[in-house]
Amino acid sequence: MKIHQEAHKHFVEYETRRHFLKQCTTGIGMMAMGSFLESCGINNVSADALAKAQNPLSPKNPPFLGKAKSVIYIHTAGAPSQLEMFDYKPELQKMDGLPCPASFLEGKKFAFIRGVPNMLGAQAKFSQVGKSGAWLSDNLPHLQTVADEISFLKAMHTDQFNHAPAQLLMHTGSPRLGRPAMGSWVTYGLGSENQNLPGYVVLASGGRNPDAGKSAWGSGFLPSVYQGVQCRSEGDPVLYLTDPDGMSRDLRKSSIEAINKINQKQYEEFHDPETIARISQYEMAFKMQTSVPEVMDIKNEPKYIHEMYGTELGKESFANNCLLARKLVENGVRFVQLFDWGWDAHGTGEGDSVKVGVKRKCMETDQATTALLIDLKQRGLLDETLIVWGGEFGRTPMQENREGRVLAYKGRDHHTDAFTIWMAGGGIKKGYSHGETDPIGYAGISGRTSTYDLQATILHTLGFDHEKFTYPFQGRNFRLTDVQGKVINAVLG
Amino acid sequence: MNINKLLIWSSAVLVGSFSIYSLIGHGDEVDYSSQVKPILNRSCIKCHGGVKKQGGFSVLFREDALGKTKSGKSAIIPGDPEHSEFITRLTHKDLEERMPYQAEPLSKDEIELLTKWVKQGAKWGEHWAFTAPEMPNIPNKNFFASFTDWFSPKWEKNNIDYFVADKLVKENLKHSQPADKGTLLRRVCLDLTGLPPTEQQLTDFLHDKSENAYGKAVEKLLASPQYGERWAGMWLDLARYSDTKGYERDDQRSIWKYRDYVIDAFNQNMPYNQFIKEQLAGDLLPHPTDNQLIATGFHRNSMTNDEGGTDNEEFRTAAVLDRTNTTWEVLQGTTFACIQCHSHPYDPFRHEDYYKYMAFFNNTRDEDSYGDYPHLRLFQKEDSAKVMSIKNWIQKNSSVSKANEYAKFLKTWQPTYNSLSCDEFVKSELSDTKFLGMQNGGSSRLKNVDLNGKNQMIFRYNSSKVGGTFTIHIDKIDGEILLTTKLDTTKGYQSKQVFFKSVNGIHNLYFKAINPNLKGKEDYTAYFDWFGFLSKFPAKNNPEHDLMQKEFWRLANISTDITLIMDENPQNLHRKSNVFERGNWTAKTKEVQPDIPTLFGGLPKILPKNRLGLATWIGSEQNPLTARVAVNRFWEQLFGIGLVETMEDFGTQGFTPSNPELLDYLSIKFMKEYNWQPKQLLREIVLSATYQQDSKVTPEMLETDPVNRFFARGARVRLSAEQVRDQALLVSGILSHKMHGKSVMPYQPTGIWGAPYSGISWKQSEGEDQFRRALYTYWRRSSPYPSMMTFDGTSREICLARRLRTNTPLQALTSLNDPVYVECARYFAKRMDNEKMDINGQIRKAYSLAMSKEISNDKLLILNNLYQKSLIDFKQKPNEAMKFLGYCEDNSIKPKKMPDLAAKTMVAMTILNLDEFVMKE
Repeated sequence: MKIHQEAHKHFVEYETRRHFLKQCTTGIGMMAMGSFLESCGINNVSADALAKAQNPLSPKNPPFLGKAKSVIYIHTAGAPSQLEMFDYKPELQKMDGLPCPASFLEGKKFAFIRGVPNMLGAQAKFSQVGKSGAWLSDNLPHLQTVADEISFLKAMHTDQFNHAPAQLLMHTGSPRLGRPAMGSWVTYGLGSENQNLPGYVVLASGGRNPDAGKSAWGSGFLPSVYQGVQCRSEGDPVLYLTDPDGMSRDLRKSSIEAINKINQKQYEEFHDPETIARISQYEMAFKMQTSVPEVMDIKNEPKYIHEMYGTELGKESFANNCLLARKLVENGVRFVQLFDWGWDAHGTGEGDSVKVGVKRKCMETDQATTALLIDLKQRGLLDETLIVWGGEFGRTPMQENREGRVLAYKGRDHHTDAFTIWMAGGGIKKGYSHGETDPIGYAGISGRTSTYDLQATILHTLGFDHEKFTYPFQGRNFRLTDVQGKVINAVLG
Repeated sequence: MNINKLLIWSSAVLVGSFSIYSLIGHGDEVDYSSQVKPILNRSCIKCHGGVKKQGGFSVLFREDALGKTKSGKSAIIPGDPEHSEFITRLTHKDLEERMPYQAEPLSKDEIELLTKWVKQGAKWGEHWAFTAPEMPNIPNKNFFASFTDWFSPKWEKNNIDYFVADKLVKENLKHSQPADKGTLLRRVCLDLTGLPPTEQQLTDFLHDKSENAYGKAVEKLLASPQYGERWAGMWLDLARYSDTKGYERDDQRSIWKYRDYVIDAFNQNMPYNQFIKEQLAGDLLPHPTDNQLIATGFHRNSMTNDEGGTDNEEFRTAAVLDRTNTTWEVLQGTTFACIQCHSHPYDPFRHEDYYKYMAFFNNTRDEDSYGDYPHLRLFQKEDSAKVMSIKNWIQKNSSVSKANEYAKFLKTWQPTYNSLSCDEFVKSELSDTKFLGMQNGGSSRLKNVDLNGKNQMIFRYNSSKVGGTFTIHIDKIDGEILLTTKLDTTKGYQSKQVFFKSVNGIHNLYFKAINPNLKGKEDYTAYFDWFGFLSKFPAKNNPEHDLMQKEFWRLANISTDITLIMDENPQNLHRKSNVFERGNWTAKTKEVQPDIPTLFGGLPKILPKNRLGLATWIGSEQNPLTARVAVNRFWEQLFGIGLVETMEDFGTQGFTPSNPELLDYLSIKFMKEYNWQPKQLLREIVLSATYQQDSKVTPEMLETDPVNRFFARGARVRLSAEQVRDQALLVSGILSHKMHGKSVMPYQPTGIWGAPYSGISWKQSEGEDQFRRALYTYWRRSSPYPSMMTFDGTSREICLARRLRTNTPLQALTSLNDPVYVECARYFAKRMDNEKMDINGQIRKAYSLAMSKEISNDKLLILNNLYQKSLIDFKQKPNEAMKFLGYCEDNSIKPKKMPDLAAKTMVAMTILNLDEFVMKE
């Protein structure tokens, strides 16, 4: 089955469902928003308007027209090695095994490197691919085929060299806890297109949450309704979605109807608008109980899609999450945040060496990441979906010598001065490479891009001026980019 | 009317006429704070304030505003608006020149006002919140009013109501009827104890027909132990209390004893200023009690970072900044965090003020160490007595100071030097940036060790390698040897005691480790946690000496519960404090001494310039903010909205008080008459007619006062996350009233905790610990208890002074499907079922248990219909009924009975989800 066949199948399903909603007034369709309130005697128009005004997630227009409508942010937690994936440095290869020149170490602080480490050449082969001639390593055979869709930011830098603070900086604009995540800002600014699904969904793979914990998708000082909802691959995809054992859907419906009818009486007595909001929240909860499992269920996807992504049914996997990300944005979710844990590559064992560990993580993710790009494109969604891929910092061109020892496997320490992030889709230039690092890949020499610049650019593609998109808290207007950040115009399409 | 009242009232009249006089006396002088400042804040300060000073002109401080600008001239010349560019630029013809720049011009009235203000001398005034409150006269409460009261019953019950009534007249609003008895009781129970009334409480109250029935109920609530738990719940948010450290692996921390302290402080009605003093500076009080040390946990609730490779000084500094910000946010309702980087954009605080204030907090022993030192070691009763007896013995046989030294070491292991403060590592390093690890032949330095009068070192280390020796040299790597000792192998971290010959003075110590047995050259012979130095154990010749010393060593080593506390640095470890350029802790500039902001005139001379001095000032009547902020917070907890709506910001960007006179009246009363005791304040508020009003809203009220700023009606707000849980447990009859102690882990779905590298896991508590009040639930910052977060709890990473209430489908899903709530519904249904009545009677009963009032017939019908429908359904599918009741522990239910009980559970669940149930009405 190919994409057009799939489209036809969906159309048929859609028609059937519409028929069901129209004809079966006793079915779930009767509970569509507003209709219930109307049947309770509240004027339909005003009730609907009221419910919308009360709903902080109603879709809103950005200040200017952005090209992207939704975001899929793939965070490779642990910080992938740009030197084994994107940043081709033949000079570094020549210096492999030589002591690091003092000039690179003076006044610098590393998480684990002590004294004078040795240089470490790339542990992968590179080649130029596509019309754009992007350099990619053989760790990424699939991504090589779509490089022409992508803008690479090769001179990224950050100022945090530990995982948790750097992840927080990347997602919240501050290395300390307590600020809203990017996805919270975006759903605060744009609301969500589908009220039956959370507007900001988080999916994690790699067996762990990121180091920064739930704060990486916390709403900080924004109302908690804007915090990311972590959808889980085991148990309820959203907490408490399933009715208790033994309760039928029909009984659930009856109970919610009873709740809402009594709340309606309460409203008539107290006239508190909050009560109306609660009535619509219960309706929405009821609808989420069907819509969330539906969208989170990938079983019914056609076989060719499963093959394309390399999904593993019934398991927590990055490939499954990529497919879910596509389904979620297709269904109007505003911000999908993927975390894939396990990219740290210190070389303390074979599993976290740049040779074996990085290669393994690439193998786990390369196909699915590429499939996501292709799949969004073939559905016409890539133009309006921004994809961002990257870690929280880069890795050193030197081999890590933790506690001054030579480690048994080749690894690299955390590095703030150079790493690669790529963007594709909504509002982003195709087949482009921005910025360049010095010949050994230690630091950017042109097109240096900070985490704030990246955030400013993401907000720009969605239609926000990052300097004007603020929220008052503790006496000042806070923004995602704090007091920094410039939009990188060069990567805008 | 008695003579006393007459006297008070006539003096009120006098005060009243005095203030009218003073108003007239000022004529039509323009008032800076209420008239000028709002215009400056809105239209000027963005470019001419504490952050940006375009053209060298800023209107934040008077001296800057009158000073020379970049053009060399002053923009404001007092008395001379014609030559003041500040005025002439407002009407400039050239749009490039006209101010505000590229914005709408000011209105004619505003320009006139500013002109007049400059003409009158451009006098600056203080923002209301930064000047001391004054006792206002009580509006319309005078001799005449009291006279008319004899003829018509008045609405006002106490002074609060006169202030509210006065405002209502001005706002064209009318007060509401009193709430019905049951609703009122439920409201006041929830407000004072966080729990709805029990059946007994309700019956007692409804049957008490005496005039003072309500007053009696209030007294019982204020005296109940649940009172302390309810207010502790509020305070723990402000204290950002958590059972974990915060960053990355977010490991366990033991500080629950602080929670017990807060509960007890509220229950004992501890004066609020004493409460502040103990929390900020309990360790600096003379002869602090254990409780006063435990109280300092308030500021040990800041986060620490265990992630390998992180700079401990960076996170120590972050904690100090957090303490500074939290102190302001919680106690002063003022946003101080922004002057970390520059002068305040709107309020009269300078950049330097921040660092002077921070200097108060910059000298405590905690250093982001893995052990979260310092601790208070919580001895069991018997051992605690033994610590006392050692202390007394030393005191008797030596000196008070020696007794204190030894007692302090036993209780806190302080003063000790954390190994993380070592430097000059050679073949040694701070392993994982936590512990000093030393290889064979390795060395390292520990600076500024006070050896005066010391003759023994106690150090804590961990070694699995046989054959290590540890040597300490004085002042130089090859200096005189202080001591040499064997590094015996240990089971985890253990302490060892080594004696040496006294060397007086403050010295740098050089550590060397040797272990020729090590095979790999990078192996470590040992890891060190801390080093402590003590003076000679006294009274060598006393027959009890050996026994006492042995007992000391036993107590120093036994494992105890602990709680985190503050401890001030001894002189030799004093840290300097500097201004950070643009808030960057690595860019230290000018050195500063501890002080309060210039605006408040500096710390009074009689106070010590340390945390204790600061805490004393904060809790004094000279502080214009403390009482107001506290009163406002208590008010907000009861009414859902503060007298100052922006509880976190009393500055010029915050909201002005909706009833400033009432705020000042209560603040002064709180300080002077109530001696800062919260129970008295709360009593006065809940006994007011304002508090007791019905919470129904009319469309007119919604139009004029949608959020109830002027209190023409009772509060109708959603319960807090804690109350939502506690109420469900209470109503269904399973709430445990067990107080105090370690945090508990009620049911939580699997797979919620997923922090990397962390060894802690969620182990569901057993027995009644599953049903404890929400404030005892284990609070993990990186992953707080899900239902708490859904109902707008905060993750407590930093202090959030105000929870914003949301209304979301996830809340509905929680109270519908969270197994905790499902279980509540089952128990609630059994409680219904135990009543020997027909189904309607049982529904009536359940509704009344939940809402403290009678159910209306139409609601009863809806619930009865649901029962009937569910009954039919479950009778057809008895297996489903059994599953539905599955969580009930008790197997006594006969299969035949199950459909009925399941149908009642449906009804119970519905009641637990009603709007009126999750709302306070």
